[in-house]
Amino acid sequence: MDDLLGDFIAETRETLEALAGEIVAWEAAPDDRSRLDAIFRFVHTVKGSCGFLDLPRLEKLSHAAEDVLADVRADRRKPDSKLVSAVLAMIDRIAEVTDAIETGHALSDADDHLLIAALQPGVAHPEPDAAPQADMSAAAASGTPRTVSRTIRLPVDLLDRMMAGVSDMVLARNELARRLRDGGAESTTEVAFERLSSCIAEMRDAITRTRMARVENLFTALPRMVRDVSAELSKQVQLEIDGGDVELDREMIEMIRDPLTHIVRNAIDHGIEPPEQRVLAGKPMAGRLHVSARQVGNQILIEVIDDGRGIDADRLVQKAIANGVMSQERAATLTWDRKLELIFEPGLSTAQAVTAISGRGVGMDVVRANVERIGGLVDIDSKPGQGLRLTMRVPLTLTIIPALTISSGGQHFAIPRSAIDEIVRTGGDAVQMGKLGGADIVFIRGTRLPVVSLSKVIGVAGQGEPANLVVLKLSGGARYALAVEAVHDHEELVVKPAAPIVMACGIYGGTTLPDNSRPMLLLDVSGIAEKAGVRRDVKAPEAVVEDVEETQQEDGAVPVLLFRDLDGIERGVPLALVERIEDCFTASVSTTAGRMRLNIDGRLVPLVSCGAPIEDIKLRVLRMHDGNEELAYAIDSVIDIVPVTIELQRSAVPGPVAGVMLVEERPIEFIDAFWLFAQGLGAEPKRTGGPVCLLADDDPWTRQVLAPLVESAGYQVVYDDDERAITADLVIVPDGAAVEPVSLGVVVRLRPTAEERGASPDSLWRYDREGLTAELRRHWYGGRA
Amino acid sequence: MQDLFLIVEIGGQRAVLPAAFVESVVEIEDIAPVPCAPSHVFGLFALRSRVLTVIDTIAALGGERSSPGEKQAVIVTVDGHLYGMLVDNVDDVVAIDGAPTEPRALLSDGWARYSTGVLEHDGEPMLLIDVPAMIAGPLDLAA
Repeated sequence: MDDLLGDFIAETRETLEALAGEIVAWEAAPDDRSRLDAIFRFVHTVKGSCGFLDLPRLEKLSHAAEDVLADVRADRRKPDSKLVSAVLAMIDRIAEVTDAIETGHALSDADDHLLIAALQPGVAHPEPDAAPQADMSAAAASGTPRTVSRTIRLPVDLLDRMMAGVSDMVLARNELARRLRDGGAESTTEVAFERLSSCIAEMRDAITRTRMARVENLFTALPRMVRDVSAELSKQVQLEIDGGDVELDREMIEMIRDPLTHIVRNAIDHGIEPPEQRVLAGKPMAGRLHVSARQVGNQILIEVIDDGRGIDADRLVQKAIANGVMSQERAATLTWDRKLELIFEPGLSTAQAVTAISGRGVGMDVVRANVERIGGLVDIDSKPGQGLRLTMRVPLTLTIIPALTISSGGQHFAIPRSAIDEIVRTGGDAVQMGKLGGADIVFIRGTRLPVVSLSKVIGVAGQGEPANLVVLKLSGGARYALAVEAVHDHEELVVKPAAPIVMACGIYGGTTLPDNSRPMLLLDVSGIAEKAGVRRDVKAPEAVVEDVEETQQEDGAVPVLLFRDLDGIERGVPLALVERIEDCFTASVSTTAGRMRLNIDGRLVPLVSCGAPIEDIKLRVLRMHDGNEELAYAIDSVIDIVPVTIELQRSAVPGPVAGVMLVEERPIEFIDAFWLFAQGLGAEPKRTGGPVCLLADDDPWTRQVLAPLVESAGYQVVYDDDERAITADLVIVPDGAAVEPVSLGVVVRLRPTAEERGASPDSLWRYDREGLTAELRRHWYGGRA
Repeated sequence: MQDLFLIVEIGGQRAVLPAAFVESVVEIEDIAPVPCAPSHVFGLFALRSRVLTVIDTIAALGGERSSPGEKQAVIVTVDGHLYGMLVDNVDDVVAIDGAPTEPRALLSDGWARYSTGVLEHDGEPMLLIDVPAMIAGPLDLAA
């Protein structure tokens, strides 16, 4: 808030200085329209700013003056000398109050009402009274030393010119450095040059900082907005703001203002539930909205986290199908993350009703486009029912960025380093090129990525095979590999926007001058993906499976992923079954109901392992998918992907290993995928079908302790109020209770004590697990028959 | 009305550019091409640490792309961006009176699009080049 106030004070004082002449001129010629307008504008601006900054006193003063001046402008009043003095007294008072705000000195507001009254027509007497008072306070004000402001206001284009000048200086220095190197300069010259170099570097830092502003500038408007929006929607929101002191390029702040506003509005409108729903969901009544900024390397992360209902990815998918964005078949193959990504598709919004706040279907697609335009990324992470996290990653500054220089077809280009995931050389063991329906793909450590040849995209003849793959990441984690001929250097580059006709190509982000002073183009990573037709979402797994089957028919070999299992044995699995390889924390593994589960993005996925204990903090898993169900298989490390014609020595007993065969002279055990899925999923209790068991008692013990046991034996559990109660195949009652007639007449009585004393002869102790299970199983067959 | 104009020769045709646009005339070579750009974008060139976009005027007029090598270019500023317009020859800066007139002749497609009229100097009619239109190139046609 201080920044804004400082700006206001500086601006007001500046205008006051400029206005001094106008005021005198107006006094001399009260009919002069243009002077009047200038004064009116000033008072009006002050009033507007005061309302925003919550300065009620100044607002009252300026408002009174504005009213009078408006009357004069509308010819409702004639400007006589009395009115002019009254307005001037008011403007003096505004100046005094402004000074007082800056210095923090209190200024009595006792005579404010007199000044205001003096403005009224026909009020004659307060005027001579007010004037000396005003004079006195003016004298008092001038008595206190005015603090000299240590800040100045500069037009941004002047800063831009300074920045451009320094950038040019850096380039000139680089040029000079090269000539000195080539010419073999004397050591004294070199020392002088070194000094010049360090001066320039320091100056560049300082000037870069002048363009920086605190992210706070972006955050100050949030509390008010959150208040207004939540009030309008009758929701309670508790806003937490973090990291306002992070600095960011001024221009960048302006560029992310709109996206951030949009995300915050969305979070309140769609994310945070109305208070009553929150209470029902067991959450605190007031929703929590956390907005934070932090610097990570040369990027700024701005996170908006809410604890609302999150995004229902499945509803997004339904909507996408309804709107014809994708087909049902394709939708079925999407992973959770991919489904979430749909939020960025144009015209999709999960809001059921359009509100004034958001939900018009323009939104997240625009947000992402805006953030990507400045070289940023937007990531989304949703836990249904628990909340949503949106992360904007933006570069620190637009002007100097670290970049990688590469070349294709004899031409050099720069790629922003922030977009680069890794660089790999083709031909290594871990990198395998392949074809998929005419398109190039690559397997890098088991992950399938589309390959884009830079020379093809830019339409130049390649000079030899592209030997390097630069893996680039797009928003939302989608990646692709850009094939280039050579990778040269990491450089800090001064990037400037290119001419509109060059930008219109859609694949460039700007121009830059490296040391050799030959212009180089900066590639726009997402533009290239678009031009090359790389889709943001990965190809449907089915397509790969089919493709694998085709190749299998051709030469009988399928790609097999070889890995080292937790017990150290090398095993293999057909790659088609593996959706992806993931690292996760061992902490997210839970053992429930006798089997391990892995928490992946808020869902529990069955985790299967060979049996060896998981000891490290981190765990690597193979995510497998059989078309319907998925599971994770814990491994130690990935060895390689090799094409194998599978001819197994089948193992004799069913188990995790289907058989063994020699791959590259080594015996490799093959995972039995059938067994895996059966292990991971097979014993999941199915609650539909099966005989019905009526639990006559409806106390917590029955519901919490007994019911799960009965369910796990394959029964559907019903209680008295259920309509199926009369047709139940089995009834479990506490011993001694009256039994209603049941179709099959099978009644199991449970007694609370272990001893049979005093109980019905056929009753069972309620903790007699074996007896109870045997009884349940016996009648299960009866129920089926 | 008297304005200053620069007389240049493009593809054998003498034409004039409003001098207000013109910053300087330089010899340029070693131009970095811009793949995927429209054909009249010849490439990028660094002039005193500033990057300028070189416009191939012949290609803009519907001719062949110019061959690489040393060129003469008129440096102009349009909307804050620097451009170098390739010319065969630069003649003189002259003051010409009067407003441009209609050519009243059937111009070739290119010249029809990139000229805003005819100016006469010493009895010789010369086409007035519309600099922003020539920089935008034939793209406008597609739009």
